[in-house]
Amino acid sequence: MKPFIAFTKKEMLEYSRSYKIFIFLILFAILGMLSPLSAVFMDDILENFMPKGVKIEITDPTNLDSWMQFFKNGTQTGLMIMVILFSGMMAKEYEKSTLINMVTKGLSRKTVVLSKFTAALILWTVSYWLCFLITLAYTKYYFPDGKTANLGLAVFSLYVFGIMLIAVLLLGAVTFKNVYGPLLLTGGFTLILFLVNIFPKAAEWNPLQLANSNMRVVQGILKLSDLKYSLLTAAIVVAVSLVSSLKIFDRKGL
Amino acid sequence: MDILTISGLSKQFGQQQVLKDLSFHVPEGSIYGFIGKNGSGKTTTMKIVLGLLKGDSGSIEVCGEKVKYGHSKTNRYIGYLPDVPEFYNYMTSREYLKLCGEITGIPTGKINGKSDELLSLVGLSNINKRIGAYSRGMKQRLGIAQALLNEPKLLICDEPTSALDPLGRKEILDILQQVKEQTTVIFSTHVLSDVEAICDRIGILDNGTIKLAGDLKEIKLRHHQNCLVICLESKEKVNAFVNSERIRSLRDSADVQGTTIKLKTERPDETMSMVMNVLVSLSIIPSKIEIAKPQLQDIFMEVVE
Amino acid sequence: MFRMLKDSMEYLPIILPLLTLQLVLMITALIHLFKHPNVRRGNKVVWVIVVVFVNIFGPILYFLIGRGED
Repeated sequence: MKPFIAFTKKEMLEYSRSYKIFIFLILFAILGMLSPLSAVFMDDILENFMPKGVKIEITDPTNLDSWMQFFKNGTQTGLMIMVILFSGMMAKEYEKSTLINMVTKGLSRKTVVLSKFTAALILWTVSYWLCFLITLAYTKYYFPDGKTANLGLAVFSLYVFGIMLIAVLLLGAVTFKNVYGPLLLTGGFTLILFLVNIFPKAAEWNPLQLANSNMRVVQGILKLSDLKYSLLTAAIVVAVSLVSSLKIFDRKGL
Repeated sequence: MDILTISGLSKQFGQQQVLKDLSFHVPEGSIYGFIGKNGSGKTTTMKIVLGLLKGDSGSIEVCGEKVKYGHSKTNRYIGYLPDVPEFYNYMTSREYLKLCGEITGIPTGKINGKSDELLSLVGLSNINKRIGAYSRGMKQRLGIAQALLNEPKLLICDEPTSALDPLGRKEILDILQQVKEQTTVIFSTHVLSDVEAICDRIGILDNGTIKLAGDLKEIKLRHHQNCLVICLESKEKVNAFVNSERIRSLRDSADVQGTTIKLKTERPDETMSMVMNVLVSLSIIPSKIEIAKPQLQDIFMEVVE
Repeated sequence: MFRMLKDSMEYLPIILPLLTLQLVLMITALIHLFKHPNVRRGNKVVWVIVVVFVNIFGPILYFLIGRGED
C-alpha cells in the first residue's frame, strides 16, 4: 500500500509541476461557466443578429438549454481535452527509462499501472465535478424555477464515460509507448462505439449512450433502467482495459 | 563470502549470442572492475542480475539467493546505477530520494536522515534546484546516492564514468572509493585507468565469456613480465647498444621503436644492473631508464586478442 | 441601449469570474514565460503573442508544448 501511495503522489506531483492540474481546473471551471452563459445569451444573440423585419419565434431560454450546453461542452471539449492531456501518461516514462530505477527498487509493475490510473482518475473526478457544480450553481441562479428529471444520473453517466476513456487510454499508453498510440486507440474505440450505434438493438448496451443521451435523461425520457446495460458495458470495458494493461505491462521492456 | 555468483550464464538476442557460459564471482568487500569493450555484454549481464532481462540458461546468486526474472526479490540487496541515469526532472534530489525510500519500504522517519547523509556524501546537499537542471556529473552522483539508499550489500554501476569529463570522473571514483567501506561495488567500464585507480579485483569480458578474472595485483604479477625501458639519444647509440654481445645473448630480443628500447625480463633487477653495465662500458648516457610496471592495458590487449 | 446595459449587469456575475479565470491563465503563462530562459519550441516572442492573443487555448498550448524545463 505504501509504494502505491508514494507512486500515486509522484504522479500527482508530476501533474502539478507540469501545470496539468492548473490547466484541468481552470479549463473545466471555464467550461462550467460557459454552459449557462451561452444558454442565457442565446436569445440575445439571435435577436441582435437577425435582420430587421424577420420575426422568429424565440422561446425564452430555460435551465434545459444550460444543461444541453453542459453535456455538449462536456462531451466534446471536456473529454477531448482530458484525453489529450492524459495521452503522454506512459510515453515519457518509456522514452527516458525512468521506470527502470523504480522497478529495480522493488516497485511492482502492477502498482505503476494502478497508480497511473488512480492519479488520472483523481484529476478527472475533481475537474469534472467542479465543472458540474459551477454549471449547477449558475443554472440555479439564472433559472431558479427550472426543473430536471434525472440530472444526477445524466451527469454520472458522462462521468463514467470519462473513466472508461481513461482506462482505454491507459491501455494504449502501456501498449504503444508513445503519445499517438493511446490517442489513436481511444479515437478508434470511440469510432467503434458510433458504428455499433447503427444497430438499434445494440444501442441499449452501447456505452455511447452515457455520453449522447444525457439530455433525454434530464428530460425524463430515459431512466436508470434504460442506462443500466450501458453502465455495465462501460464497467466491463474499464475492467478489461485495466487487466490487459497490467498483463501487457508485465511483459514490456522498460 | 561471495556477494555475487554467476555460473554458466548464456543469453541470446535473436541470432546473436551475447553471453556464452559466463561465470564469475564477486567476493564481499571488493571493488570489482567488470571490464570489456563496448558491446561485449556488460550491460546485458547486469540487467540479468537485476532481473530486468531473462537469462537463457545458467544461474545467478546474490547473497546466496537465486535471482528470478520478474520477481527479483534479490534486488533488495542491490543498489543499481544505470549508465545514463534518468530521474524525474521536475523533482529535487531530496524528493526523488524520498520517493525511492517509500517505494523500497524504508521507514518514513529514517528516509530524511539517510537522504541527508547520502546527499552530503555525493556533494549535493546544498543544491535545491530541480533535477532537470543538473549536469551529467550531478545526475551521476545523485544516481549513486539513490543506489545506496537501501544500504545495499552490492552496488552495481554500469559505466559510471564513461560519459563524464575528467573532473566529474574523479569525483565519482572518489565517492566509490569511500563507499567501499560499506558495500561491495561492481562497476563495468572500458576505461582501464579507472579500474587501476580503485579496483582490487577484475574480470575481463570478451565475446560473452570471462577471459580473465581475479585479484588485480596477482593478475599483474602472474600475467605479465616486467619490462625495462631505455631511451637513448641517437639511432647510432641504439644500434651500438642493441648489437652489444650481452644484450644479444638475452632470451627475448630487444624491441626497438625509434630511440626507445624495450626489454622483457623475468628478473628485472638483474637485467637492470646488466644493462647499466653495458651502458657504462659503451660510454652511453641514457636519457631515461626504468623498470616499467605491467600495465592493465597490456594485459587486456593480450587477453582480448 | 438601455436593454443592453441592463443585460450586461445581468451577466456580470458570470462574465466577471470567466474573465478573471482567463486572465489568471494568461498571466500565469506570461510569468512562467518571463521567468524561464528558454522555451521548448519556437521562440519567446511568438509565445507571448500566442499567450496574449489566443484566448484560453494560447496559454494552455504554451504549458503543454512550449514550456521550457525548469
